[in-house]
Amino acid sequence: MIAADSITVSLGGRAILQSAYVDAIPGKITVLVGRSGAGKTTLFEILVGRRRPDGGQVRWNGERVPRPSLALLARRGLFYHPDRSWLALSLTAADHFALIGRESLGVTAWLNRRVGTLSGGELRLTELALGLALAPKVALLDEPFRGLEPRHREQVADALRRMAERGTAVLYADHDVESVRRTADRLFSMEQGATRLVEGFRERPLAEWYHAWPI
Amino acid sequence: MWLTSRLFRSYLYRFCLLWIAGKIANAATAAFLKLPPLAFRPGTELVVCAFEVAVLVAFIRRANEDILLGNIGLRLPVALAPLVFVHFVLSLSLSLVA
Repeated sequence: MIAADSITVSLGGRAILQSAYVDAIPGKITVLVGRSGAGKTTLFEILVGRRRPDGGQVRWNGERVPRPSLALLARRGLFYHPDRSWLALSLTAADHFALIGRESLGVTAWLNRRVGTLSGGELRLTELALGLALAPKVALLDEPFRGLEPRHREQVADALRRMAERGTAVLYADHDVESVRRTADRLFSMEQGATRLVEGFRERPLAEWYHAWPI
Repeated sequence: MWLTSRLFRSYLYRFCLLWIAGKIANAATAAFLKLPPLAFRPGTELVVCAFEVAVLVAFIRRANEDILLGNIGLRLPVALAPLVFVHFVLSLSLSLVA
């Protein structure tokens, strides 16, 4: 559906990404794992056009997107959740759903509270509920579990599964073994700016995950 | 839908405050140069309007709301274009009243 192909980025003479590749497939949850600072966020920002690569290209349904931008890709069906809050803090959750002209999903308990007064977990769930309501073809999420307590982590995992069950190509970046183990259908590992598709990761025992993990 | 949304109205409110600040600075400069302070000067208005929009864009980006706009398929220039019209209508109206 969406792919970052042979992406190369250097900053101050240091290679951040080296021919990195990642893609997302409809109905599957694909996870990109790697250490903090490995280049996951940079790769996602390139996918949504918030950063220009030195080399490589973004593809949508196999076709090169010459100048990707979030608005352009969103009109084609992309939803992007960065690693920081992106809702308007002065508005309520209901205002956000009114903005996209869709019904609210799963956030009825705090629908009429200003987003700026929500807890971190409630805020993350509201952002994902908005993503679900948009019914995207592709969802890109940068560390959607970060800083969440266990019950909210489970709710976020459910939201991701629901997206995939509806046929959305879900791609998220993370470095939490448990979250990835419970949700991932496909796994890309990122080390020193390069990516590789990890085969047979489900069959590995948990202890081996921790040793094999690039974090 | 965008022009009637609460998000656009919040940007409109902030933009009007910026317009007032811009108009005060513009009028003070004009008075200093012994020009009619509230007169409509298209070139000056364009520069002041660009400054107001730039400040608003900086606020929006700082709050990551450009991502919210992007997720609903709106580019910042398109989302904020109506505010340019608002600036010129307000400035022209004030010059006519004055």
